Amino acid sequence: MTQLFKQKHVEYVQNLNSQISQDSYEYWLLEHLRLNGIYWGVVALATMDNLKALPENEVFDFVLSCWDSRSGGFGAFPRHDGHILSTLSAIQVLLIYNRLDDPKVVDKKPAIVKFIKELQLENGSFQGDRFGEVDTRFIYTAISALSILGELTEEMSRPAVDFILLCQNFDGGFGMVPGAESHAAQVFTCLATLAITGQLDRIKPEKTAAWLSDRQVEGGGLNGRPEKLPDLCYSWWVMSSLSILGKAHWVDFTGLISFILKCQDPNGGISDRADNETDVYHTCFALAGLSLIEMSQKLKEFGLVPIDPVYCMPTSVTRKFTNYTQQ
Amino acid sequence: MQHGVKRISLSEQARKEKIQRDKLKIANYRALCKDLLDKKDKDVRDIATLQATTDLLLKNPEFYTIWNYRRDIIVALVDAEKIKKKDTLEDDLKLIVALLKRYPKCYWIWNHRIWCLDQLQQTREANWNVELAIVSKFLDLDSRNYHCWQYRRFVINNMEEDTLLESSESSNLGQKEARALLRINIEEYKFTTSKINKNISNFSAWHNRTKLIPKIYDLFGELDTTNDHADVRHVFARPQTILQHELELVKTGMFMDSDDTSIWLYLQWLLTNPFFVDDLRKVSPTCYLDVLNAQLAIVEELNELEREDHPKGWDHRWCLRCILLIKSLIREETSEIGALDDMSRKMLQSLTEIDPLRKCRYLDQLEGTGTLSSLAF
Ligand SMILES: [Zn+2]
Repeated sequence: MTQLFKQKHVEYVQNLNSQISQDSYEYWLLEHLRLNGIYWGVVALATMDNLKALPENEVFDFVLSCWDSRSGGFGAFPRHDGHILSTLSAIQVLLIYNRLDDPKVVDKKPAIVKFIKELQLENGSFQGDRFGEVDTRFIYTAISALSILGELTEEMSRPAVDFILLCQNFDGGFGMVPGAESHAAQVFTCLATLAITGQLDRIKPEKTAAWLSDRQVEGGGLNGRPEKLPDLCYSWWVMSSLSILGKAHWVDFTGLISFILKCQDPNGGISDRADNETDVYHTCFALAGLSLIEMSQKLKEFGLVPIDPVYCMPTSVTRKFTNYTQQ
Repeated sequence: MQHGVKRISLSEQARKEKIQRDKLKIANYRALCKDLLDKKDKDVRDIATLQATTDLLLKNPEFYTIWNYRRDIIVALVDAEKIKKKDTLEDDLKLIVALLKRYPKCYWIWNHRIWCLDQLQQTREANWNVELAIVSKFLDLDSRNYHCWQYRRFVINNMEEDTLLESSESSNLGQKEARALLRINIEEYKFTTSKINKNISNFSAWHNRTKLIPKIYDLFGELDTTNDHADVRHVFARPQTILQHELELVKTGMFMDSDDTSIWLYLQWLLTNPFFVDDLRKVSPTCYLDVLNAQLAIVEELNELEREDHPKGWDHRWCLRCILLIKSLIREETSEIGALDDMSRKMLQSLTEIDPLRKCRYLDQLEGTGTLSSLAF
C-alpha cells in the first residue's frame, strides 16, 4: 500500500455511530470510551481537513450531555462519572468546533475548573478522579485542559513539573510514576507537560530523543519500550515527543510511513498492526502521526493539516491560546 | 482501543447471524446498565445492587463508573455494618484475579485492586505476601506486563511501609528495620535475576535493577554487623564490586544475543552512572579508565566475531555504538575534550550505513550538535 485512503477513513469515522455499528454488542461495551472516541474521530477528520463530515450540533449536544453535575467534570457518556480523561476530550472537541464560548459551556466552566484543580495531590501529581489513581497521563491531561481554559497557574504547574522530573529514568525516558519503567506514551505526557509549562530546558533533550529514536524497529514501525513489538499508536506517542524536542527526523520516515499505510483497512479505518481489527483510536493517531512527518519533511504528500505535537489538535486551533514557543 | 485482534471480514450470512445473536445480548446488557445507573442516581446502596455491579463488571470490566459505584456501595455498607469489610474486600480481590486473567492490561481493574488493598491497609489487614505471590504468577504469564511491574513495586512499597510502621517508635532506622528492608529488596533483586535468566531481553527486570542496586547498597551501609546475606554480601561491598558482578552478567548476555537492546542500555547505566563512576574514582586514579578499557576490549572482541559472521563484514550496530560511547568516555576522562576525533567520525559515518533507520541522528551528531552523553545511546 502506498496511498492513504483518505475518503474511506472519513467514511469510517462517519459510520462509527451508524446502525450497523449499533447492531453489534461490542459497540455498547465501548460506551465508557465514547467521548474519548468522539475526540479521536474529530481529530482524525480535522487532520484530513474534513471536520464537516460530522454534524457539529449533534456532536456539541452529545458532549454537553456527558457533563456530570455531581463531579463537575465530563464523563465518557451521559450519566457516567466525571473523569479527567473524558474531561480533556470534551474541552478539546469544544475547542476544535470553536464552541468553548457558548453560554451553555461558559455556565459550566467554574465547575469544570474546580473539578480539575481539586484532583491535584500534595506531591504535585494529579489523580484521575476521586479514587486516587495517579499517573503522569493525568498530569498532562489536567495541565493541558487548564491551559486551554486559560486557568493554569504557576502555583499548580510548579509542583506538577517537579513530580514529572522524578519520573525520568537513566535512559532518558519517563514512566507513569517515580520508579516506573520508561514508556513512550508516558514520555509524551511528560514532555508535553514540560512544553506547556515552558520547562523543557530542565531535561537533556538529546538523551531522551536518542531513546525515542531507538523505538524504531525493522519494518519501520515504532515500539513503546525496548524489546517490544511495534504498534501504530506509537507513531503518535514517539513522533509527537520527538517533534516537541525538535528531533522528528531522528527516525526513518520512509519506513515509518510504509508501516502506517500497511495498517490501513482499504475499506476505511486503521489498526495497531497490519491485518488487525481497526479502531478510531489508532485511526486518529496514524493520521496525526503522518501529519507530524509531513510537517518535519515540509512535504505535502498526503495533504494533511498540521497538528500540534503538544496538544494533538490542529495548529490552527491551538494557535488561538498557546503562549509557549514551538521548537 | 483494539490491540492484537485479527481483522476478520464476515460473510453476509455470518454477519446477519451475529446481529441476531447480539440482539438479546444488547438488550440484556442495556437493561442492566440502565437499572444500575438509575439506582446510582438515587444513591441506592444495598447488597442486591452490589451483586448487580458484579454482574455488569463481569460483562464489561472497563465500565469505570460501575467500579466507582461499587466502591461507594462497599464503603456505605461497611459503615452501616451490613457487610464485613475484610470479607467483602477479599471477595473483590478474588473477583479481580478472575477478571485480570481475561483482561491483564485493563487499567480500571488494577486500579480497583489497589483501592481494595489501600482500604485493607488502613486497618493493617492487607496480606502483602499473598499479593506478591499473585503478581509473580501474572508475571509468569507475561513477563513484560507494565501494570504487573507497577503493581509489584506498589506491593513492595507497602511491605516496606509495614516494616517501618512496626518500629515507628524511634525516628532513626533501627537495625531490625534495616535488616527487614534489606531482605525485601534483596529478594526483589534476586527476582529480577531470575527473570533475566529466563529471558535476557526482559528490560523491565533490568530497569528494576537500576532502582534496587543503589538502595540495597545504602541499606547494607545501615547495618552494624555484616553477617547477613552471605550469598550477596560480597557483591554489595562497594559500588565497584557491584559493577564487576553486573558487568559479568552483561557480558554473558551480550555474547548470547548481541542484538538485544536491554543489555546495551543497562551497560550504559553501569558505565556512566555517578553511583559507580564516583566510587571507581575513589578506588584509584586510573580505576575508572581501567574498567572502560577492559569493557572496550570485550566489546571490540565481540564486534570482531560479528564482522566475521556478517556477509559484507560490517561492524555490529550495538557494538559500534558502545565502542563509540566508551571511547568518548575515555577521551573525556583523559581530558582530551573538544571536537570529535577522526576515529569517532569514522564510526558515526559507518553507523549511518549499518543503522539507516537512525541515519539523521548520526548525521546530527557528526555536525556536533549532540552532547557527549547522547553519543551512541
Ligand atoms: Zn496501539
